[in-house]
Amino acid sequence: MIVAENLTRVYTMGRVEVRALAGVSLEVAKGEFVGIMGASGSGKSTLLHILGLLDRPTSGRVTIDGTDVLALSDHRRTLFRLNRLGYVFQDYALIGELTALENVYLTSLVRGASKTEYLERSTDILRRVGLGDRMDHRQSELSGGEQQRVAIARALVNNPSILLADEPCANLDSQTSKSILDLFARLNEELDQTIVMVSHEDWHKEYFCRIVTLRDGLIGEMVECRKEPHPGGGA
Amino acid sequence: MTAVFSGIKVSAFLAWKSIQRGSRGTLALTIMIIALIFVNLVFLPSIISGVVVTFDAQSIDFDVGNLVIEPREGSRYIDDADSLQKKVEQIPGITGTSPRITAGATFFYRGRNAASTLYGITPEDERSVTRIAEYMTAGEFLSNGDTDSIIIGATLAGMEGEEEGGLPSLQGVEVGDSVEVAYPNGLARTYRVKGIFETQSFGVDTAAFVTTREMSEVLGLDNQASAILVKTAVNGREEEYKREILSYGVQEDVLTFREKSGGFVEQAIQSFNIINAISTLVSLIIAIVVVFIVIFINTVNRRRQIGILKAIGIDQQIIINSYVLQVLFITAVGALAGIGLNAAVTTYLTAYPLVFPGGPVYPDVEASAILRSIASLFAVSVVAGYIPAWRIAREDILTAIRG
Ligand SMILES: Nc1ncnc2c1ncn2[C@@H]1O[C@H](COP(=O)(O)OP(=O)(O)OP(=O)(O)O)[C@@H](O)[C@H]1O
Ligand SMILES: [Mg+2]
Repeated sequence: MIVAENLTRVYTMGRVEVRALAGVSLEVAKGEFVGIMGASGSGKSTLLHILGLLDRPTSGRVTIDGTDVLALSDHRRTLFRLNRLGYVFQDYALIGELTALENVYLTSLVRGASKTEYLERSTDILRRVGLGDRMDHRQSELSGGEQQRVAIARALVNNPSILLADEPCANLDSQTSKSILDLFARLNEELDQTIVMVSHEDWHKEYFCRIVTLRDGLIGEMVECRKEPHPGGGA
Repeated sequence: MTAVFSGIKVSAFLAWKSIQRGSRGTLALTIMIIALIFVNLVFLPSIISGVVVTFDAQSIDFDVGNLVIEPREGSRYIDDADSLQKKVEQIPGITGTSPRITAGATFFYRGRNAASTLYGITPEDERSVTRIAEYMTAGEFLSNGDTDSIIIGATLAGMEGEEEGGLPSLQGVEVGDSVEVAYPNGLARTYRVKGIFETQSFGVDTAAFVTTREMSEVLGLDNQASAILVKTAVNGREEEYKREILSYGVQEDVLTFREKSGGFVEQAIQSFNIINAISTLVSLIIAIVVVFIVIFINTVNRRRQIGILKAIGIDQQIIINSYVLQVLFITAVGALAGIGLNAAVTTYLTAYPLVFPGGPVYPDVEASAILRSIASLFAVSVVAGYIPAWRIAREDILTAIRG
């Protein structure tokens, strides 16, 4: 369960202050699949960064499963990201020196998985995002959509209890987008994974339990969508 | 514990990928600079040590042996030299003794003259201590019975028409020539030159030798010596032998070859050590700067990557360690290359040695100098690599990722 209370995030650039978040409160229950929508610049990425422990709000509180994550030391926050979170960056954020496979298994290596274990898991997840034949390619040898799918595979490889995805399908065709969303839905169902995903596409809505729309750093509206599992999940 | 271990594994993984896939040129250049610094660290001490070895060997082999026994305070000669010689020769580990008479003499040859030192020696005894007999460039060494023969150092003998700069030279004495010697007591003798020797030790090459028998007769001495040279089985234990000789009840002064050289070598070593310390300091500063710059550029170029690593849950210590491991790798390969390079330089200088006033100097690479250089290189580069890595790894994640 993620609880964010009254989050603000103010960027000061010289004399100008940008209020990227102006007081956002949000609760995400365990196993929920939440979509965050809103215009460009409305604060979606900023919110996700804070929920993903990559940034600290100017004010407000965030607790995850009862832990006040803002009170944690940098070291604890790093461990929290490693062990509990999966994060898909809007700009993929792959390590250029590593191949697709190495990018994906790196965090498993850090978590102390055995070689057979992390190789098996990372090849499996790369196949599931359709990159079975691109594993030894490096970032410069992959298309934008392929890089995005490597980033998705990296976020999923350790079966994190919370997945935060910042427009994970922005560079994918609708067919591939659908397969990725089906994969998310299945993980959400089978592993009771909590997912918070930023999206621009209207047709993604059918996958979400709830849609949170941001407007100028504030929650504009919050819509409950479905109670039943998505047809793409569970199957 | 397992966390530490897997942490090191990840650091090693990242370091290796970075070396493997980073710029080959920069890597090679850095390794080469480290190798050159290593050579610089080892080379000078090896030459200094080589100079000392040469000075010592020259002193022992040609000049004074390992130890010298000299007349006690106030006496000009050691009396009853024979029995003192026998007494010292009994001491285990002493392999030879040679009594010498020393006199300042003037040498005359074809209208030219030169003042230098004349020694009276017992040739058989002298052979048991010094190696002058092995360094005859012309003619032969003296024999015990010779009374009308002299052997002359190459510098004193000199060359036809050549002015030796400040050193005594008769300019062209050859074997078979006659040389007149004026002794300090006013007597003069003419000797036939039996041999010419060249030891490269200038104090020896400017001197001349006749037999003790001849010199005692001219100076009116009986079983007396100006000094007794002592040769020991092994070099480097002169202080022990000195104590041993004194414990046998020897009343005369006993000096090690170092003491005999009057602190000259010590002084030279001290000056060399100052030069060496400065050179070492400069080398290490260069090493610090080079490693710092390389790792600094490396980390600045990888700011985004470092931010991403932190974002996906990799502890900053693991990231810093990956740079430290890269530095260790570069230093290790650099030191290895340096050892190779140094071996090449040493081999060359052994085949074509540097020539010093004391003779040819061979680089004397001491294992301790190599170990010290490796240790200081590692210490310096780890520090120089750690600091820039630490600075960048501390940066805020999103700032780093945005680049
Ligand atoms: N580092 C920063 N410094 C200054 N302003 C920033 C910074 N990051 C974001 N902003 C501002 O904060 C606001 C919210 O940005 P954010 O990235 O959260 O938008 P977004 O909703 O994710 O937009 P998009 O859909 O285009 O990704 C924007 O106006 C942006 O200009
Ligand atoms: Mg965004």
